[in-house]
Amino acid sequence: MLHTTGAKTVDVIANAGRFSRFVGRTCVGSMITCLQPKTYSLVWTQMNAIGVRSVPVVMVTGAFVGMVLAVNAYDQLAGMGLEERLGVLINIAVVKELGPVLAAIMLAGRVGGALTAELGTMNVTQQISAVRSMGTDPIKYLVVPRVLACLLLTPFLIIYADLMGILGGYFVSVIQLDINSAAYWQYSANGVELWDLSVGVVKGFFFGVVIALISCYKGFNCREGAQGVGEACTEAFVGSFISILALNFIFALITKAIYATFWTTQSLL
Amino acid sequence: MGNVVDNEISPDDGVIVVKDLFKTFGKLRVLKGISLSVEAGKTTVIIGPSGCGKTVLMNHMIVLDRPTRGEIYFRSERIDELNEKELAPIRVQYGFLFQGGALFDSLDVFENIIFPIRQHRKITDWKAIDELVKTKLAMVGMEGFQNHYPASLSGGQQKRVALARAIALDPHIILYDEPTTGLDPIRSDVINELILKLKRELKVTSVVVTHDMKSAYKIADHIIMLHEGKIIAEGDTDYIRNHPHDVVQQFIHGRVSEADLAALRLGGTKFKTQYAPEDFK
Ligand SMILES: Nc1ncnc2c1ncn2[C@@H]1O[C@H](COP(=O)(O)OP(=O)(O)OP(=O)(O)O)[C@@H](O)[C@H]1O
Ligand SMILES: [Mg+2]
Repeated sequence: MLHTTGAKTVDVIANAGRFSRFVGRTCVGSMITCLQPKTYSLVWTQMNAIGVRSVPVVMVTGAFVGMVLAVNAYDQLAGMGLEERLGVLINIAVVKELGPVLAAIMLAGRVGGALTAELGTMNVTQQISAVRSMGTDPIKYLVVPRVLACLLLTPFLIIYADLMGILGGYFVSVIQLDINSAAYWQYSANGVELWDLSVGVVKGFFFGVVIALISCYKGFNCREGAQGVGEACTEAFVGSFISILALNFIFALITKAIYATFWTTQSLL
Repeated sequence: MGNVVDNEISPDDGVIVVKDLFKTFGKLRVLKGISLSVEAGKTTVIIGPSGCGKTVLMNHMIVLDRPTRGEIYFRSERIDELNEKELAPIRVQYGFLFQGGALFDSLDVFENIIFPIRQHRKITDWKAIDELVKTKLAMVGMEGFQNHYPASLSGGQQKRVALARAIALDPHIILYDEPTTGLDPIRSDVINELILKLKRELKVTSVVVTHDMKSAYKIADHIIMLHEGKIIAEGDTDYIRNHPHDVVQQFIHGRVSEADLAALRLGGTKFKTQYAPEDFK
């Protein structure tokens, strides 16, 4: 009992150490890549593979989030005669929290899964060894372009999700629930600040990096065989998912503190 | 070259020198004290039964795996303690053919072959590169396949493309892990001729892992036989051919041992299946 607990602890620490080294090497590699224009094409290829095909999924996610919020919040607000302020509620929730987080989770599934599966298969079929055998650093060649692509794209994908969330909310509120359009936008514009939007988008950089790092790491260290690749994908998704939520919480604390030092908090309703 | 396994090996004995190499994976002891040297400009062939650690040994020669114990030298320099970055300039001097080919499946044949070139040189003259890819592919009998993806090639074709990639940078040392496995007899012989030609014309040093004794006799200057993680015989072709050790004779003649036959007889017990042969009529 004590023995297994001890062994597990050692395992966890060793793993954390390996992951930190992986992250460190990726950071250094990323900086070098930024200075070498000849490697931009690798990043560009990944951006196409990762970003372009994620746009529809992320947009659908955003739209549904906006619509569901409208449907659920309407009755509460209408009961108080405040239904015209539905816009603030929806839009602030979408832009600040739900858009970024749900888009990131969607990406963890869609992009993270693909990254882990691809690198895992490359690992199992010795393609990563092949990269090493030719004197190329696999982190620089395989991981860095993927991390940079995720870093650069996630904020944009979040903007897409936000946009669709806002439109979805508008669609249900104004077209279906018959709220006055001018009032809806008026309250939204007063309630949602540039700050809220920026917080949501800035989170995207972090979420993107976390998804890519965890997924690539799991792919690089996956066990032999089809089962190994499958396990790695699951672990990568769960890891990314938890990290996104935890990171989001930390972000909420930090941004609130920053906001409170510079501005006074105003009531939304 | 002595016929006794020489433990007092020195780093200057060859281009690649492996000294007292041990490798374990978890509890599995794969290599148990290997010492060998690879002579420049010669072809060293490593033979041995499946699972005896030939691939693992080969991986150690360019430090894709790290030794559990022991030392590896390249041109008298110890390399098993270098980090990945320091190893890069050494690895570039090698060509390495993986047992499974290890072609990049997201790249087509052309891109696979120019991969090593692209990593280390800036390509300006694309015409020359086209020519180079064409000649390398022709050498392995794969001309015209430039735009195919590895997934659409047969196992033997992938192996040959991988070989073309391994020789793309005209390395002075080439490590082949089972270059002829999965090829038909004629193709195998073409590969043998290729290895001989590279040695003759470019003074290439080769290490070849193989099960194919015909190929081994044809190309080898020096043969090393591995068995259960140790070297049990080492010498030139004639020496190995006439080696007194039973295991060596069984291996080179492909004879089944009494123990294996006994195991087969034990495994011959019939199980009743749900279906009888007549069910399929
Ligand atoms: N990365 C690894 N992790 C754990 N065990 C390994 C690893 N690589 C090899 N082994 C084990 O080492 C032993 C030797 O493997 P190796 O691939 O060197 O055999 P081989 O002599 O090349 O066989 P073959 O002729 O079939 O290719 C095997 O039992 C294998 O299970
Ligand atoms: Mg092998």
